Amino acid sequence: MTDLGIAIDSSMGTGSRGAFRMFLRNKAAVAGFVVFTFIVLVTIFGPPIYGVEAHKMAAGPFLGPGDDAGPLLGTDYLGRDILAGVITGGRTTLFVAAVAGAMAMGLGLVVGSLAGYFGGWIDALLMRVTEIFQAMPSLLFSLVLIYLMGPGTWKETLAIGLTLWALPARLTRAEFLRVREMEFVKASRAIGSSDLRIMTRTILPNAMPPLLVAATLLVVIAILFHAGLAFLGMVDINTISWGSIMGKNRGYTLTAWWTVAFPGIAIVITGLSIALIGDGLQDAFNPKLRGR
Amino acid sequence: MALLALNDLTVTFDDLTAVDSVSFTIEPGETLGVVGESGSGKSVTALSIMRLIEMGTRAKIKRGQAEFTMPDGSTIDLLTQNEATMRGIRGNQIAMIFQEPLTSLNPVYPVGEQIAESLRIHERLSRKSAMARARQMFDLVRIPEADKRIRQYPHEMSGGMRQRIMIAIALCCGPRLLIADEPTTALDVTIQAQILGLIKQLQVETGTAVMLITHDMGVIAEVADRVVVMNQSKVVEQGPVEQIFHSAKEPYTQGLISAVPRLGSMAGKDDPEAFHLAGTLQ
Repeated sequence: MTDLGIAIDSSMGTGSRGAFRMFLRNKAAVAGFVVFTFIVLVTIFGPPIYGVEAHKMAAGPFLGPGDDAGPLLGTDYLGRDILAGVITGGRTTLFVAAVAGAMAMGLGLVVGSLAGYFGGWIDALLMRVTEIFQAMPSLLFSLVLIYLMGPGTWKETLAIGLTLWALPARLTRAEFLRVREMEFVKASRAIGSSDLRIMTRTILPNAMPPLLVAATLLVVIAILFHAGLAFLGMVDINTISWGSIMGKNRGYTLTAWWTVAFPGIAIVITGLSIALIGDGLQDAFNPKLRGR
Repeated sequence: MALLALNDLTVTFDDLTAVDSVSFTIEPGETLGVVGESGSGKSVTALSIMRLIEMGTRAKIKRGQAEFTMPDGSTIDLLTQNEATMRGIRGNQIAMIFQEPLTSLNPVYPVGEQIAESLRIHERLSRKSAMARARQMFDLVRIPEADKRIRQYPHEMSGGMRQRIMIAIALCCGPRLLIADEPTTALDVTIQAQILGLIKQLQVETGTAVMLITHDMGVIAEVADRVVVMNQSKVVEQGPVEQIFHSAKEPYTQGLISAVPRLGSMAGKDDPEAFHLAGTLQ
């Protein structure tokens, strides 16, 4: 046989090992992953190691960071330890963000793929519903949901998830519309694939890179959303989160900056690290970039 | 008994008739060439047999029957079967290869898995045994270094190799009819000859009937047993390949045959000349 195959060393990049290798090649993504892992570990193991109760008075009020008498990051208006608050509050914030993000992504994937794949009246119906959700001011909508359901971590998660699914739904639909016209989808039909198989096995993996980025973005948005709700005081008053620390101390922002700055910095660093991971995943799941 | 007897097939797109009362038969193990220019209805006919034409398009099968003989000897009309039955037939009884090997393979899966997928759908094989069968298909379609290439992605392969993979996907479940829709159009001439040679060889080895769609009379002369000539949605002429080439009755068929340039026909002339096609404007 004289057929000329392109000689590429196949050991370079096939399968999941190739994806992992591509991810490692993106230094910013690796840095994001390291930072995010550190944050998660701190929120899990930090509170028992640090041993200070976040709800309780630890020292005098309004001690600045580095004050001799007080804890490392200072205390708030009731003398509660800010560092204890940040490492304990991260649990709630990260849990809500992860579950709400997954909820929004899951709902968006189902709605968007059905609309994009089947088209016609299914598409028209699902997209009108999506538009209704998009047209509503999202923070107000989640406030209304929490008002109706009452506070509580799970209810807050549900309120955020139900608010954010329209974005991934539209993106998924757009990707399905793009991919379903491709020749290999017709070829997949010609070997006898069912609609479900074509949607999940043929089209979805090809739609994955932008959706992965959207998923990480959703988690970031959910963190900000929950912080916003907590800042407004629309969350369970007994549950500490990054947003709730900022919310409770918002009257003292000018006199005691550290009470809002440190939880705020935690939110920014976490959001940034997740966004960097998303960027790396986009490269990792694009087989065409592998082996370069 | 004919493997496939197509009778009076008529397909419309809104008020445009894309296939107009087309009838022909395919015998077991033979190669039927379907030839005609772009837009003559060749591909629509093929997709109608597969019942893929009405998906995502405004096409409608208006009339006709497509009597297909199943392995147990019974015949079914493909045009009236439900979707579940058709899924069992596609890839298993009737397989199809497409014009563009570059875009007909899914870019996110290694090629070996794409061959295995068909086996997993129709024969419900485990992943491991499907991959082992896929590995055998590499030998069948004469791809060297199978163990290495089975893990490669489509973009790591040349056009000719990808078309071999498409052929392997089509043949892995042992279909009794292979529909090849312009399988060599996107390939360069030397690779074309290899792929056509391969299809012909495999047909002898597996006994599959082939419906070969092309616009190239040269391809027809090389591999077809019988020829159906289509023009403007209709069958204008059909018959054994020798008869068509020796004594085509229709001016359109004569035009198609004379459209193949002959090596040496410009001998003695300084520059290439445009050649005259029978039945066209000058």
